[in-house]
Amino acid sequence: MTARKSGSRLETEIERCRSEGQWDKIPELVRQLSAKLISNDDLGELLLGESKLQQYLKENPIKQDASPRGNRPRLVEVRKHLTAALDRGNLKHDYLQEARLLMAKLCYVEGDYREALSQYGRVTLDELQLAGAPVYRLSMIAEAYATKGLCLEKVPPSSPSLTNKTMDRDQEIITCYEKSGDIALLYLQEVEKALSAGMQNRSPKPGPVAQEQELGYFLETGLQRAHVIHFKNGNLTRGVGRFREILRAVETRTTQNLRMTIARQLAEILLRGMCDQSYWSPLEDPPHHSPLDDPLKNTSHTKDYALSRRPRIYSGENLFCPQENTEEALLLLLISESMANRDAVLSRIPEHNSDRIISLQSASVVYDLLTIALGRRGQYEMLSECLERAMKFAFEEFHLWYQLALSLMAAGKSARAVKVLKECIRLKPDDPTIPLLAVKLCIGTLHWLDEGERFAKMVVDMGEKASEFRAKGYLALGLVFSLKATDASLRGMQEEYQKKALSAFQRAQSLSPTDHLAAFYLALQLAVSRQIPEALGYVRQALQLQGDDVHSLHLLALLLSAQKHYHDGLNIIEMALSEYPENFALLFTKVKLETLCRGPEDALLTCKHMLQIWKSCYNLTNPSDSGRGSSLLDRAIADRRQLNAMTLPDFSDPETGSVHATSIAASRVEQALSEVASSLQSSAPKQGPLHPWMTLAQIWLHAAEVYVGMGKPAEATACTQEAANLFPTSHHVLFMKGQVAELRGAMEEAKRWYEEALSISPTHVKTMQRLGLILHQLQRYSLAEKVLRDAVQVSSTAHEVWKSLGEVLQAQGNAGAATECFLTALELEASSPVLPFTIIPRML
Amino acid sequence: MLAMDQGVVEEWLSEFKTLPETAISSYATSLKEKGSLVPALYRVIRENYSDLLEPVCHQLFEFYRSGEPRLQRFTLQFLPELLWSYLSVGAGRDLHCSGCIEALLLGIYNLEIVDKDGQSKVLTFTVPSLSKPSVYHEPSTIGSLALTEGALANHGLSRVVYSGPYFQRETFTAQNRFEVLTFLLLCYNAALSYMSTTSLQSLCQLSSRVCICGYPRQQLRRYKGINTRMMVTSEFLVQLITGIHFALYNGESDLGSKALDDVLYRAQLELYPEALLVGNAIKSSIQGAALKSNKEGTRSIQVEITPTAPRISRNAVTSLSIRGHRWKRHETEENSVDSTDLSPAGTIPEISITGVGGERLGVANGEALRSRTEGEALGVAAEVGADPRGQQEGGSTFRDPSPRFLPARLRLPSHGLPQSRHNPAPLPPGKPRDAVDLGSPDELMEIAEEDEGFCRRAAAEGGGGGGVGGSGSPPTVVISNSCGASSPAPTSGKAAGKSQRRLLVGKSKEKEKEKEREREGLTAPDPRKLGGAGGRAMSENTEQLSLKRLTLTSSQSVPKSTTLSLSRTASSVFSRSFEQVSNVLAIATGNQGHRAPSPTPNSNHAPELNRYSVCSLQEEGLGYLAGRAEHTSPTPHHKQPSPSISVHLAPDL
Repeated sequence: MTARKSGSRLETEIERCRSEGQWDKIPELVRQLSAKLISNDDLGELLLGESKLQQYLKENPIKQDASPRGNRPRLVEVRKHLTAALDRGNLKHDYLQEARLLMAKLCYVEGDYREALSQYGRVTLDELQLAGAPVYRLSMIAEAYATKGLCLEKVPPSSPSLTNKTMDRDQEIITCYEKSGDIALLYLQEVEKALSAGMQNRSPKPGPVAQEQELGYFLETGLQRAHVIHFKNGNLTRGVGRFREILRAVETRTTQNLRMTIARQLAEILLRGMCDQSYWSPLEDPPHHSPLDDPLKNTSHTKDYALSRRPRIYSGENLFCPQENTEEALLLLLISESMANRDAVLSRIPEHNSDRIISLQSASVVYDLLTIALGRRGQYEMLSECLERAMKFAFEEFHLWYQLALSLMAAGKSARAVKVLKECIRLKPDDPTIPLLAVKLCIGTLHWLDEGERFAKMVVDMGEKASEFRAKGYLALGLVFSLKATDASLRGMQEEYQKKALSAFQRAQSLSPTDHLAAFYLALQLAVSRQIPEALGYVRQALQLQGDDVHSLHLLALLLSAQKHYHDGLNIIEMALSEYPENFALLFTKVKLETLCRGPEDALLTCKHMLQIWKSCYNLTNPSDSGRGSSLLDRAIADRRQLNAMTLPDFSDPETGSVHATSIAASRVEQALSEVASSLQSSAPKQGPLHPWMTLAQIWLHAAEVYVGMGKPAEATACTQEAANLFPTSHHVLFMKGQVAELRGAMEEAKRWYEEALSISPTHVKTMQRLGLILHQLQRYSLAEKVLRDAVQVSSTAHEVWKSLGEVLQAQGNAGAATECFLTALELEASSPVLPFTIIPRML
Repeated sequence: MLAMDQGVVEEWLSEFKTLPETAISSYATSLKEKGSLVPALYRVIRENYSDLLEPVCHQLFEFYRSGEPRLQRFTLQFLPELLWSYLSVGAGRDLHCSGCIEALLLGIYNLEIVDKDGQSKVLTFTVPSLSKPSVYHEPSTIGSLALTEGALANHGLSRVVYSGPYFQRETFTAQNRFEVLTFLLLCYNAALSYMSTTSLQSLCQLSSRVCICGYPRQQLRRYKGINTRMMVTSEFLVQLITGIHFALYNGESDLGSKALDDVLYRAQLELYPEALLVGNAIKSSIQGAALKSNKEGTRSIQVEITPTAPRISRNAVTSLSIRGHRWKRHETEENSVDSTDLSPAGTIPEISITGVGGERLGVANGEALRSRTEGEALGVAAEVGADPRGQQEGGSTFRDPSPRFLPARLRLPSHGLPQSRHNPAPLPPGKPRDAVDLGSPDELMEIAEEDEGFCRRAAAEGGGGGGVGGSGSPPTVVISNSCGASSPAPTSGKAAGKSQRRLLVGKSKEKEKEKEREREGLTAPDPRKLGGAGGRAMSENTEQLSLKRLTLTSSQSVPKSTTLSLSRTASSVFSRSFEQVSNVLAIATGNQGHRAPSPTPNSNHAPELNRYSVCSLQEEGLGYLAGRAEHTSPTPHHKQPSPSISVHLAPDL
């Protein structure tokens, strides 16, 4: 820059430096200027004064609530320049005003607020032109308003005036700040525009790198002080309004941090201080009377000033404007999140420790608020995705990991949730809740029993430390063993697991005698091992603790049926149904019991009733449960297409209990489906049906069974066909087809159906039993014996299989073994319920 | 109950009945002035057996049914107390003695679940999305958003049902009880701002008691009364927490935080993730905000002036500053095969305006950055889009018998290289490729190759060749043959075309990258290996410069042992921005001179290539054809009658 610049170019350069805040270049430029035009000396003084004042402020930034500074030598120098500029009176009008503004600012810096105010009085700020003003002047005006506001706040009202006066004064202060804020935003937008234009013009030379614009104390105050005062006065309505005004202004690089903070603060206020009914949308006028405002302070709700130029706001067609409290909070939080996320400090070197903490804090506040907002609306799926983005902050941060795990769990993403929970356990090994949550997932949809056992043992091993959770730990352990017992294919293993389960449940029950679940699961385990009277005792205890627990009632009914008190059982079921009219598990048991004590017609009526319930539940029902908008039925239809594509659909097995180890393939599909289902309806009642279509198929199969019992093959075929339409390859359907064929006397066909069913689910005991019988009828005794022995191996408590085995052995002439089988069958039959006890779900 | 209370309540009962329809609204305003009425009503509700309870419940229901919002809120303020009354009586096994409260609750529920026309009401809200402009933001300024499945699904605004429709209920059953109660709390929460302090206190008490009764914590809170456990559901707890959250910041911080602790305690015992999630979040945000407890019970929502300057120091590595780095890292990994063998001497200062420095350059650079991030986003999108297709194509193409041997042959060298040289922990090929779960390693390799386009294949090939040749020269390779001429089978040609197309899609977003390949001239003996590989040649020259740069970065920041994973490239293939294209091109063209072996047409073609790539972005199908035409054209220049690999040596490195 050695070459002399022509006058106008020089002026432009000065203007640019002033608006970009490059004060260090001003003296050099002034020298050039004064060499050029002698008459402009006053302007030179002004510029020098300004640049020195700004430099001083840059080096000694004003802090909030700091005491005013005395006369520093440098400030004296500034005053000298400014006085010189003002005194001679040669300045052009615009520059004269600028000099006054600077003088006032200087007075403020020196702590002379009254003098500053009187300077402002001479300028009449409101008359300064905003339109067409050079960029730097916008900043000056904004600063002037802010400084005036500050002075007004500092100087006590001149007279001991009336309250009315102070109100006016308060209003004047706020107006100063609001104007200052608006003009500051305008200034920042203009600077950015000028900068980007400059950058394009200036290229290819790298050019002087423009520094990050810093707002400085005055602009910062101007931008924020207004809403701070609003909230201090309890005027939430105007505070929110001010926040919105600032946020609606188009973003600039400098305001990014401000916007991030304000967006978060506004979201906080929306979530903590407002509700759906007191909400008004950003484009609406605020309500006149709002419960949000302090009723004692009567302040106006609308701003009472207008500016000739306002900052640009976001505009365009189809702008999304929130219509609801949570919507606005979410939008603001998403904006805030995107910025917080961008600032995530990733390096782990110690020097950046404090930066990292800052970035972590600002992000985790946002994520917590997001959790609150989305949790309210039940949007756990979206929440889990948001929290996943938080993971870049999460190294060794327990809270973030835990929240992610919980959100995954709530969103039904069980497998991932378990993995994240593992990390949580590592970070906080003393908290018993975490492994318990993991067990809950493992024995639920995942069916990861070994993992579950490990987690449950963690809790148990905590001993006394786990306090109330210790009992839960034993309960979890018992459930794992109980499920393992059901899965085990060897009798020895089964018995061992059952023993373990029983002792764990007993421990849980003794640790927490008031927990109905402990008593209930103890009863269930006893029932499974056919200790009916003991089981009855505990189930009664459970019912005393929790009178309307559906599973306890169900178990009681089954236990009564095992004692052949069918009528009592039916009464219990009907009582339970009065409390749980839409519980299909109870209804299925009802069908069985009704067939036994009231005849098949009643059972058929119940089936019809079930179909009606099914329709009303899933036809009209709860889109609330299904994540995004569409009704559950739509979803179910979509799922149905998937179902047809799947090869091995299986529904919670009413015959052999829940998932059997050997039908893992089938259970996988079930898992997947129920995972889908639970992710769709995180708020659905958990004990509900697994999947609507599975339930429907089950209803048809039950009806078919009743028809088979009545000897009506045509109707039974029709019902089976309905089920087959839904799940053509389910072994239940195939089994039922076999039964119908048997009823029609088509033994070969029945055999074929049974074989097909077994090829899908090789451990379906009922199929094995029927197949054994058919083989027996076809006089293929040794094969029949083999099949039946396998069946006994799978389920040692199925009395019908023992009986069939006895018959086969008898036919083979093995009377001794046959007798033993018959005796076993007899014994088992005495304690056999209408449906296996294991249909009752076991979960935490 | 005091006689005075009784008088107040009786007066209240009688006056509404005689009220004309028109006076309702003024009556609603006047209710506020009756200071002793509300406490008296609370007492009536608490004393369950009072004679007044039934008329009071009836009156409250009448208020609600009137439709006047202020009267409805008057009724709603008693909701927590009514709920507690109902639940505590229920817990005492005496389910039906609170008949009138039950009727009132069901009455409100049945009124609220329908809209004015009697249709089932469905509460919905719009999930805002950053990809749509709003009154508060402009999508372009947000930068690239993570392109997750969810983000794509939410592209645009989706309306979500969060409550309803519900069935009309005539009685409470165990099954519907909490559904009804949760919905009632939802209604209460919607009017939270209008609720009095007493009501909020009552809500906190309700929450505490419901959660701890019958649990060891009950002793801690010294609450005597009911000591049987009450059932709760997760959703019910979440609604309670929502109310508590409001109470916490509106004058009830002590009671509120106690209640929150109790709810969290119960949620832990019940293992309810939803309630734990929201509760934990509130707890942690309270700690952050250092809640000021105001003795006067005023609202404690306050804000402070916050510094607007960035609080994070400029030299810290942040997600923003690393955006550029991330790609470079990949690049170095992918190129480490090449670069580790190169001497680091030929370094050229890194051309990089990424990172914090770049960010602070000002607007113009900001724009550049912005466009870069958009490019990234696009790249990812394209990648996402291309992937499944890539798999399918890969699968179907290689199922054809004729080209089957192709990947197998390729796999050998590509494996051999990294393992033998510097691969302490070899990654399975293709594994890091965006975690596409695939069956056999063969498939993996195939897909990786498909996705990467030919350069990788070629690189692997040439790498092997280089090793065998023992030339000690950088083992990078380029293939500059045409694709069609004598590829072994038509199917393979088809595969090539598809790959090219994908390549082009990638290229358009990352021309810079394309220019960054160092190539050597060497003619490979087996043309079939590269049967489908066309068109990469034109970019080779321009890549000379960048490779040097890569050398630098790798020697600086990446450990020598960087695992070579060829497939890794695939993910970074789409990562370049446009910014340096022209520069690099110019330099590359300049370099042409002393890099004699490389065919001159290439540099001429480069800009066109770019152009076509852009086309291909827009209209993939057309771009594909154009791209092929473009690629086949240089063949005559090479004077190669049959497809072959030409690997150019670059001794000057």
